[in-house]
Amino acid sequence: MSSLLKNSWKLSRNLPVTTLKCYPKFLPSIRTNTTEAEKPETRPTIRRITTDIQTIKDLGLYISGCLPKYVQKVQINAGDELEILICPDGVIPTINFLKYHQNTQYISLSDLTAVDVPSRKYRFEVVYNLLSFVFNSRIRVKTYTDELTPLQSIESIHDSANWYEREIWDMYGILFRGNSDLRRILTDYGFEGHPLRKDFPLSGFVEVRYDDEYKRVVCEPLELTQEFRKFELSAPWEQFPNFRLAAPEESKEKDSPKEKDKK
Amino acid sequence: MATPVTSGLKQVKPILSLTHIEAHRKVITLYKTWYRQIPFIKANYIIPVTKEECQQKLREQFYRHANVRDLRVIDMLLVKGRMELQEVCAQWKPAATLLRYWEETEASKPKDFMSKFLSGHE
Repeated sequence: MSSLLKNSWKLSRNLPVTTLKCYPKFLPSIRTNTTEAEKPETRPTIRRITTDIQTIKDLGLYISGCLPKYVQKVQINAGDELEILICPDGVIPTINFLKYHQNTQYISLSDLTAVDVPSRKYRFEVVYNLLSFVFNSRIRVKTYTDELTPLQSIESIHDSANWYEREIWDMYGILFRGNSDLRRILTDYGFEGHPLRKDFPLSGFVEVRYDDEYKRVVCEPLELTQEFRKFELSAPWEQFPNFRLAAPEESKEKDSPKEKDKK
Repeated sequence: MATPVTSGLKQVKPILSLTHIEAHRKVITLYKTWYRQIPFIKANYIIPVTKEECQQKLREQFYRHANVRDLRVIDMLLVKGRMELQEVCAQWKPAATLLRYWEETEASKPKDFMSKFLSGHE
């Protein structure tokens, strides 16, 4: 009797384990189905333009009206980004105007960089991004230059331009006249070439390695065969096909010989 | 169809110098500054070259661009030469990259057809 009891007790102990093992698989679709219906996208990937376009247009027209000698074109890019295209001579007056004029007050230089487009007559495009704290607005000033034409440095207006200009000199080889400390900033000493130029090979011009024969580090020219590179300004993948061919909206255009040359 | 080459005067902005005489003076000044710096470079860096070799190399480097006539190119070379001098004076540049001027570790490029063929060029 006792043995029977023991057996039944064992069985009862084992039972939940066995029941666990044979977990019933009813309604397998219950895990994959969702009760929620498809919702329309409330936060789309593309930034919605909330700012008033008319004010931006007016500002662009106002700036080009104030600086007719230097402003070649005013355009609105990516929906609400005001861009002022100026000739290289007008860098100082334009940035100065934008900083000190009552209605603009772009007192912060948030970025200063360049773009290399070798097919153009003036291959470098220098871009100044400015920020106004008072009006909570940003503006982009663009100008152009080539390898041998120096641009005027805006260090006298924005102190932060010093390092940005050094960076542009280092990466693109654009000279800035008036910069107090123009030398390399990102590349190593002894580095050759300007790495962000489109004609700079991916491997660079020189390599530095340890040589067993000479028992020292040596610097040698490097030649690696490389496929012909074709540069397209458009992105190689289609991010937003609906917005693919959206050319910048122009609020004012001036026909100047320089602009014609540039295009 | 080849487009006809239109040559003419192009007005450009100068970088440093307005005339060839001015550029020449600047180049000579840079050369002299480098020349006078050689003993200090020798003292600062541990490099297996003599003072005479340095002077020879300096001369060679300046004569490399002897045929440059464009004022702006001369000025650009001047700017780069000054930056280089600053890097060497302050010992920012390591000895390895400084010794690249002598190029003794580089294998010379094949010149005649057979050696080009054997090395895989052409």
